[in-house]
Amino acid sequence: MGVFSVLRIAGSALTAQRLRMTVAASNIANAETTNTPTGGPYRRTSVVFSPIQQSPLSVGARTESAAGGVQVHSMIQDQAPPRMVHDPNNPDADPDGNVAYPNVDLVTEMSDMLAASRAYEASVTMINVSKSMAQKALEIGRL
Amino acid sequence: MDPVSIGKRLLEVSQPTPSGQGASKLADSFGHALAGAVDSLDQTQRAADDGAMKLAVGDQVELHDVMLAQDRASMSLELAVQVRNKLVEAYQEIMRMQV
Repeated sequence: MGVFSVLRIAGSALTAQRLRMTVAASNIANAETTNTPTGGPYRRTSVVFSPIQQSPLSVGARTESAAGGVQVHSMIQDQAPPRMVHDPNNPDADPDGNVAYPNVDLVTEMSDMLAASRAYEASVTMINVSKSMAQKALEIGRL
Repeated sequence: MDPVSIGKRLLEVSQPTPSGQGASKLADSFGHALAGAVDSLDQTQRAADDGAMKLAVGDQVELHDVMLAQDRASMSLELAVQVRNKLVEAYQEIMRMQV
């Protein structure tokens, strides 16, 4: 439980939120992608987080296992059905002339982006506060 | 370190030894501790430098990781400066002592 554990934990949150932002950017960028190497339209991707289990944290005489930050557990693809648009001229159209567009909703992506940005800011605030705590501790004994 | 073990340590140090070995042992362990502290300080500074360099040449490195490394380095340096101030203070206090 060093001085830098807050920095490490908040740093893992920063990395995780940046990845979430990257995934949201990818979703928005591919909102109209009808052709992927695996076939079919692009599918909305989202990230799943899980805690990093750390060595037990000793609180006084007790030891408690505490989460030591966050990591990206997996990236999952949204299995919602694609948006069908009638466009017979599109090379990706099916025999009926319908084109499957990605199941990406711009409003959802924008709100996800805002949430990631706010979570990032919260972690940065956490880092700054813990740094100012450490600086206060260094003032002990200074006249 | 709990108060009991500190007390034991002090007792060991204050035991009279024939040829002043206690003092030299104490100075030795203190020197080791100081060298270790300076070494880890150097490591944090190197990590910060490394991160800044990687960022500058365009390596795959997260911006916030570099900033965190620099924060770590500056906090370690501040701690080292405070410890040094305390040591100098103690030294001057002893030098001012009337004998």
